[in-house]
Amino acid sequence: MNRRQWLQAVAAGAVSTVAGAQEGIPDHPEDLAYPALSYDPPDPARFRHELDSGAVAYLVEDRQLPLVTLSLTLRAGTYQVSGESAGLAGFAASQMRAGGTASRTAQEFDEEAAFLATQIGCGAGATSMDASVDCLASNLDGSLEMLFDMLKNPAFDPERLEIARARALQGLARRNDRLEGIRSREFRRLTYGDHFTTVQSTKASIESITPDEMRRFHAERLDPRGMHIAVAGDFDTNDMVGRLNAALSGGWPANPLAPGEIPAPTHDPEPGVYMVDKSSRDVNQSHVTLGHLGISRSHPDKFKVQIMNSVLGGGGFTSRIMVRVRSDEGLAYSAYSRFAPGTYYRGTFSAGFQSRNATCAQAAAIVIEEIERMQNDKVSTLELDTAKNYQVEIFPRFFATAGQIAGTFAQDEFTGREKDYWKTYRERVGDVSADDVLDAAQRHLRPEELVVLAVGDKQAMLAGNPDRPEYSFERLAGDRGIGEIPLPDPVTMEYPES
Amino acid sequence: MTRLPLLLVALAVTLPAQRVDVQEFALDNGMRFLLLPQEGDPNVAAGWVSKFGSVNERPGVTGVAHLFEHMMFKGTHKIGSKDIGRDLQIIEELDALRGQIQAERATLLEKQRRGLIEDADDPEARSPEHGALLKRFEALIEEQRELIVKDEFSRIYTTNGGSGMNAGTSNDYTIYFINVPANKLELWFWMEADRLLNPVFRQFYSERDVVKEERRLRVDSTPTGKLDEQFESMFWQSSPYSWPVIGWPSDLNAITRDEAMEFFERYYSPNNLVAALVGDFDVDRVKELAERYFGRLERGSEPPQGVRTREVPQQAEQRLTGHAETRPAALVRFHTVPDAHVDEPPLIVLSSLLNGRTGRLYKSLVLEQRVAVQARAGVDGRKYDGSFQISGVAAPGSAPEDVERALLAELRVLADEPVGARELQKVKNQQLAGDFRKLRSKFGLMVQLLVYEALGDWRNINVFSDRIQAVTADDIQRVARKYFDATNRTVAHYHTQEGAGPPPGGPGQRPRGGQ
Repeated sequence: MNRRQWLQAVAAGAVSTVAGAQEGIPDHPEDLAYPALSYDPPDPARFRHELDSGAVAYLVEDRQLPLVTLSLTLRAGTYQVSGESAGLAGFAASQMRAGGTASRTAQEFDEEAAFLATQIGCGAGATSMDASVDCLASNLDGSLEMLFDMLKNPAFDPERLEIARARALQGLARRNDRLEGIRSREFRRLTYGDHFTTVQSTKASIESITPDEMRRFHAERLDPRGMHIAVAGDFDTNDMVGRLNAALSGGWPANPLAPGEIPAPTHDPEPGVYMVDKSSRDVNQSHVTLGHLGISRSHPDKFKVQIMNSVLGGGGFTSRIMVRVRSDEGLAYSAYSRFAPGTYYRGTFSAGFQSRNATCAQAAAIVIEEIERMQNDKVSTLELDTAKNYQVEIFPRFFATAGQIAGTFAQDEFTGREKDYWKTYRERVGDVSADDVLDAAQRHLRPEELVVLAVGDKQAMLAGNPDRPEYSFERLAGDRGIGEIPLPDPVTMEYPES
Repeated sequence: MTRLPLLLVALAVTLPAQRVDVQEFALDNGMRFLLLPQEGDPNVAAGWVSKFGSVNERPGVTGVAHLFEHMMFKGTHKIGSKDIGRDLQIIEELDALRGQIQAERATLLEKQRRGLIEDADDPEARSPEHGALLKRFEALIEEQRELIVKDEFSRIYTTNGGSGMNAGTSNDYTIYFINVPANKLELWFWMEADRLLNPVFRQFYSERDVVKEERRLRVDSTPTGKLDEQFESMFWQSSPYSWPVIGWPSDLNAITRDEAMEFFERYYSPNNLVAALVGDFDVDRVKELAERYFGRLERGSEPPQGVRTREVPQQAEQRLTGHAETRPAALVRFHTVPDAHVDEPPLIVLSSLLNGRTGRLYKSLVLEQRVAVQARAGVDGRKYDGSFQISGVAAPGSAPEDVERALLAELRVLADEPVGARELQKVKNQQLAGDFRKLRSKFGLMVQLLVYEALGDWRNINVFSDRIQAVTADDIQRVARKYFDATNRTVAHYHTQEGAGPPPGGPGQRPRGGQ
């Protein structure tokens, strides 16, 4: 796979004249000459197989190690579950794995997998359910049989359910312990409002889950026609196609429902400065995020936005927010911005850091300055080239292993990514100009819409840094004032009136 | 159980473990290279390790190994400055000013202690000289900022497709790594040799602040971060493992650039370094590049092999009771053996018997007794010493005491009764599959080679599997009896404390540490 040609002649020319230790070493790495590297991404058609059920599989052989991994994705997730049942999708998936099957008790299933040294997993997220197996090639028969037994005939052992429920209920109570957990939950609420991604499970919803509820979820959602399967490792492709066809042909729920549309968020976020007061003894650090709604990944500006964000705060140590907040000022260990492109609807733009309580306002002001600078000035050629070169140079890393190749293509098809995405990826990155970046910053960064969320010691954050009185959250908030978000009851998720 | 074909029991012997076939060579200056060319994607996972970490520090400079690691990204004489001459001058001047500022601040802290001023950080409390020094310091920082080519070291790697660039400091070693496109491997040689030849610790003081933020992030602002740190510190009595890798806050405030430089000169000479490359490269060319670039480094004096202060045998059980916004839990830790000790494989197999969905802890504590919601065991074999820890999170209605009792009961069973053949074979099967799984990532393999080497010898990666497969039921019983003794253990109980406020059990004024 991944054929490429080294232009060896260039390499030889660059090194063969070296004699002494210092000679042949350029004064600056910019003067190094590299052999060219030509790389073509793998062609998905080579690995794609339509199965008899209508499911699709990407099979990528790699015989270097005697291992096989298979992952299977289907349309079943929390978006199909009402708020009263929040938690059901995740429970149904994890209890398929934990609760035994029609012919194996929970314990037998676990023991058998453990003895084969086979890892079998099942989980559900917002929009998909994923089941996987990772086994020695010599145990492929038994491992696949177990995977499909789990998917077709889950028993939902009530005892295992109670153990999982007790653990989940205990976990609920601890949802306000970590600053990071609070920050991500409240930022999502501020940007997406009333949406399935902001629905939280509660004591009542967790307690409402029964084996029958999970059985119903299974019967309605496990549809072998819509599966996207990725297999990588030490197997024979034709043999695997036969195995998958056989496994998908019978024994599945008889009348699965149509999966249903994934709802887009409709919330109109309210810009402003918000604080969650979460002060703990001796903790002199708070977590801050600034952001607003972003773009979906199919947006025509996607590559421009990606490069723009890389210069702003997505490019690690070379990006502006990192340089100013961390390297120059020493205000944070981690400082970043992120355009998380939504797969099915608009994603979010966010920038964030953790800093000493007294310096949070200063760091937030720097982030806003940098956002505005992106909109006012063109980026330098050096910054633009760094961001673009990086994306082009690391391109082969997306397909570094058989598992990545199979997984990427299966996910692409499952999520409906444009067919020519990888083929034109480097070209589209290459086409981004400094004007495009400025344009993307002006269109897609909107400082006037920023939601600024600070979670931590409110009093200390408001007090600010006596050496830098020019920075304060009051000043950032302006006439709007600072909104206070109270901590909800972690068990019922009811928010007290503030 | 009868479902299983019988021959599966023989799984372990039908599949020979994969050998990692490393080619090794050394330069005249003592720097060693571990090379593992592999087919596949056009990339090389490259890294090097200094076989020294926080265990080689001394009180007063705890955290210097890690702070130094941060400074290694700040550039060199050739990378990171428009005017290296003035840059170096400014660095000297900043150091001198910093010393004077520290002295002024010490005076203020003393006044605060005596109640003469409210707050040592209040600008009003400063003397005019203090204010002037701070102004001069700021002005120099501003001047230097104009000279600095910002994060040039990172930018050069980034623009050439270097990915995953980072470094890590542990108790025993410090490791620097990256992925580079196969055609740009020479860049790695240029950059890494240059920062070993002529590092410049510019922006030292702001980087020290970054590390303080890192400490706040990792330790202070997580619910159990500070308790975990105190437990670790209490477990090790005399060993330098007792201080955290990131350093005590007081030391982070005080470490000077000279002290970081001293650490570099002592522990980063080529005779203390080992590099590893895994991926798509030509061995002869790599040897040539290594000679040309790293050959310029001068062999340094041999640092003391081994730390002087060793752990003293524990004489009595130690206990810690803490309160935090976390689930109630019990942790029990025993002193055991360092990495690669003959007793380590039986201890690893023993921990595997306890772990996982079919492990004894889950079956007994979670499923049967319902005393815990999760529990696990782990082996931590370090260069000079090691430990075994077993821990569990209490189920609703149970207390840390109940969890501790149940955990210790499982250890007693291991000491009293030999493990059955099938159960032993199960964990050996898992270990064998794990031996293959850990070879899947080139980057992961590069890191493993460096870590094995730092702790002793990279070849241990190849004998590890055989040692595990050779463990017998007797071995397990022997180590369980040898190490799981009451006087050899340190126990922590974490109790849930809701919200902020002082811990229950008395109003006692908490002593204030550093800043």
